[in-house]
Amino acid sequence: MSRSSSVEDLPEQCKDLFTQDGVLLKACLGRPVTDLNSIGMLCIVQNQDNSKTIEWRPNDLITIDSDTQDQEWAVVNTIGRRQRTLSGNITSDYATARARIIKIPIEELKTFRVTRNNQQMQFSTKPGVWQTTFYFQHGNAEIFVAYLKNHVKTAKTRHDRNTYVVVEPNIESQVLNKSFAELDIFTENTTDVVWNLVSNFKQRPYETTMEAFSKLTDIVYYGNEGMNGKRDVSEEVVDLLTKSMNAMEEATTVTKSDEYEVISVKPTLPPRPSIPRGTPLSPEKWWALQDTEGRITEVEGVKQLIFRGGVAHSIRQCVWKYLLDYHPWHMTSAELKALTKKKTEEYFAMKLQWRSMTEGQEARFSEYRDRKSLVEKDVNRTDRTHPFFAGDNNPNLVILQDILLTYVMYNFDLGYVQGMSDILAPLLLLLGNEVDSFWCFVGFMDKIASNFDMDQAGMKHQLLQLQQLLTFASPELANHLAQKDSGNMYFCFRWLLVWFKREFSHRDIMRLWEVLWTSLPCANFHLLICVAILDAEKDILISKDYGFTEILKHVNDLSMCLDVDKILSTAEGIFHQIMSAPHLTDQIRIILGLPPMSTSTSSHSGSDAPTTSKSETNGTKEDQRTGMFGQDMDEDTLEYNGLQICIVTKTVWALLA
Amino acid sequence: MAKTYDYLFKLLLIGDSGVGKTSILFRFSEDAFNISFISTIGIDFKIRTIDLDGKKVKLQIWDTAGQERFRTITTAYYRGSMGIMLVYDVTNEKSFENIKNWIRNIEENASADVEKMILGNKCDLEAKRQVSKERGEQLAVEYQIKFIETSAKDSLNVESAFYTLARDIKAKMEKKQKEASNPAGARSGAHQIRANEQQRKPTSWLSRCSLL
Repeated sequence: MSRSSSVEDLPEQCKDLFTQDGVLLKACLGRPVTDLNSIGMLCIVQNQDNSKTIEWRPNDLITIDSDTQDQEWAVVNTIGRRQRTLSGNITSDYATARARIIKIPIEELKTFRVTRNNQQMQFSTKPGVWQTTFYFQHGNAEIFVAYLKNHVKTAKTRHDRNTYVVVEPNIESQVLNKSFAELDIFTENTTDVVWNLVSNFKQRPYETTMEAFSKLTDIVYYGNEGMNGKRDVSEEVVDLLTKSMNAMEEATTVTKSDEYEVISVKPTLPPRPSIPRGTPLSPEKWWALQDTEGRITEVEGVKQLIFRGGVAHSIRQCVWKYLLDYHPWHMTSAELKALTKKKTEEYFAMKLQWRSMTEGQEARFSEYRDRKSLVEKDVNRTDRTHPFFAGDNNPNLVILQDILLTYVMYNFDLGYVQGMSDILAPLLLLLGNEVDSFWCFVGFMDKIASNFDMDQAGMKHQLLQLQQLLTFASPELANHLAQKDSGNMYFCFRWLLVWFKREFSHRDIMRLWEVLWTSLPCANFHLLICVAILDAEKDILISKDYGFTEILKHVNDLSMCLDVDKILSTAEGIFHQIMSAPHLTDQIRIILGLPPMSTSTSSHSGSDAPTTSKSETNGTKEDQRTGMFGQDMDEDTLEYNGLQICIVTKTVWALLA
Repeated sequence: MAKTYDYLFKLLLIGDSGVGKTSILFRFSEDAFNISFISTIGIDFKIRTIDLDGKKVKLQIWDTAGQERFRTITTAYYRGSMGIMLVYDVTNEKSFENIKNWIRNIEENASADVEKMILGNKCDLEAKRQVSKERGEQLAVEYQIKFIETSAKDSLNVESAFYTLARDIKAKMEKKQKEASNPAGARSGAHQIRANEQQRKPTSWLSRCSLL
C-alpha cells in the first residue's frame, strides 16, 4: 500500500507541531474567490530557523485518495460529516495547489478571534483588518486556540472576550522571570504595618490579626531599624493582640445577632477565616539570614515566610536546595562546597554505571532495558511546549533522560514510574544544572516516594485520607461524591501523583511546590489543597447533579484554570477551620500529623499571655530533621471565643513570654 | 435534559505506555494530531456522537495510563465498558507481545461479553516497523478479535476502527433487545437489562449506565 502523509510532502526543514483537519478557508485578502470555501488543515509549523507559522493547506494538496481503507471492513460509510484528509496521489496540479497555502508568520500575528460558537476563527497581522477567516467544520476552534496559546502570549481584550491580542509572539522563559520580579514587592516598613493593623482590625478583625502575625514575623526577623531591640516590639504585640481579639469578639457577636442565624443539627465547622498571602522571601532577607560562615539561621522562621509567600524567583536556585534536603541548613559555605564536590562525584559514578553498559549487557538485562524504554518514551513527551524542552535534539532532553536513568541506578527497585519526568522537569528548568537537579529530585522523591509504590498502596492511602478530610470539612460534597460512586476519589489521582504538576503553569507550580515543601502548617497539607479546590467547585458539582463521569471530566478540565494563591489561602483557611472545630476527631488529627486526643498533653506553657495553651506536636519527619530552632516544632494555639488560631512560629509567642 | 442520542456506548482504550492511545482518541474526537503529546496520568475520556444507520450513537471513550503500576487504579474504570480497543505500536515488539497480557487483564476485569478490537498503531512509521501486519492478523485470528492497522498521525483507519467497534456493539445490543422482548429469551445479561431500561426511561440512561 503506498501512502504518503501531508507532513512528508512538505520540505524537510519544516515541522508540523500541531495540525487540525476540517478547516475551511472562508475569506482571505488578496486571494481569488475560487480559492475560498475549500477544505483543508490548519497547522502550527516550526520552520528551520525555529520561527513558527500558522499554515492552512488545502486538502487537494494532500488528499484525494479513495476510501480504500474502508474496503477492508466492508462497512457502509456513514461518516459523512468528515472529509478524508489523507492520501495517496499527488496530482499534477501539485505546484498550483502549493501556491494556495496560506501562511501567517506567528511573529507578525497581532490579534485573533473566535466567533460563532467556536466555528469561526479570524487572524489579523494589521490592526483593524481581519485578513483571513477560517471555518471549523466540527465547531472546535477552541482546540486550535489552546495549542496556539502555547506559542504566543495573549491577552483578552476588555470589550470582547473572544478576541485575543498577541502580547508576545514567542513565549520565552524570560517572561516568567520578569513577572516573578514584579511580584516581589516587599516595601512596607514596620510603622506602616502597625498603623494599618490598628486601622484595619475594626473592619476585618480576623484577617487583620492573621496578617499582623505574618508581618510581625517579618519585624522580628528582619530588623526594625527604627526600634531598639525586641522589647519594644513585644509590648506592641501584646497591645495589638489584645485589641484585635476584642474586635473579634465584637464582630462575632454582631454577626450572630444581626446578620444570620445558622440552624443545624450536624456539627459544623466554624466560619472560614480569610487569610491573606504574604510576599515572597526576598533576596535581601535570605542573605541576611546567613551567618558569617554561611549557615542559615532561624530555619523555622524561614519556612514560615516561605509558607506564607513563597520564594522570590531570583533566589529559588539557592533556596530549593535547602527545601529539598540537598543542602543541610546548618552547613557552612565551606562544608557545602565539600558536599557539592562529594555529591558530584557520587552522581557521575552512578551515571557511569549505565553509561558503560555494553549493548550485549543491555540485551541480557531486561529489567534495565524496560526501565530505559519507559524513560525514553516519557522524556519525549514531557513539557515539550515549554521553550526549555521544545524542538528536536534539544540538549535539555538529553539531560532530563540522563538524570532519570541515573535515578534508575540510584533506586533500581523503584526504577522509573510515569510521573517522575513531570516531577523532574521544573527542577531542571529552574536549576539548569544536571547534578543539582538530580539531588533535588532525589529529595523531592523522598517526600513522595509512596506515590510510586508498585501496588499503589501509598496513593490509595492518600485518596482515603482525602476522602476522610473532605467528609469532615465539606460533608455535603463528600456525601454527593459517595452517592455518585466517586467516593474513592480516584478522580483526584493525577493531582496527588505529581503534586498538581498537570494542573498549573510552571510559574504557579513552582510557587505551590515550595510552599508544600515547608511541611507547614501541618502534615498532608497537600490534601487540604485538594479539599480547597474541590470546595470551590462544590456548588457546581452538587447543583448540576454531576454524576460519575461528569465529576471526573469537570475535575480534569480544571487544569490550568486554577488560581494558586487563592487556593493556598483557602486551604490554610480550611486548616484553621478544622483545627478550631469542637468535634475534631482523632482520625483527622492523625492525618494532619497531630497527636490523638487521648495522648495529647495540654499543659500551660507558663507564658504570661492570657488564654494561650501550648501543646506539643510530633511534627512531621521533616520537622524533626531540622533541629536548628529547637528539638521539634512547637505549635501554639491561641483560643479565643471558641475559635482557635494556631501560630506555628515560636518567636511571636516567645515575645509574649 | 433533552435526549440527544439513541445509544450511549462506553469504550476503553488500553495498551502499553506510549503506543498512541491518546493520539488515537484525539484524532477521533477532534480530527487533529499534536506532535508533542503528554503522557496520560490517571484517566480521562472524550465524547463523540456518530451516526450509525440513522441512530445517534454517543461514544464515551476512556483513555487510560499505560504503565502496569497504575493498573489497579485504571481497571476500576473497566466496569460497564461495552467495547475495548487494544492498542499496540507496530514499531515496538514488546507492546505487541503485551497484547496477550492486556487480553487477560480484560478477562479479569471487564464484562465477559465486551466487544474487543486490536489496533496496530503508528503504521506510518514503515522504516521503524518491528511487527508485521501479518503477525497482527495472526494474533487477531488466534483470539477471534477484529484487527486493523492505524495511524493517528496520518488519520488512517482511526474512523473506521471506531465505527466498526460501535457497529458491532450496536448489533449485539439490538440482538439482545430483540431476545428480551421475546418471552422465550429470559433476562440474561447486562446489556439486555440496560436496553430495557433505556426503552422505559430514556432520560435516565446516562446515570444508570454509570452506576452499572
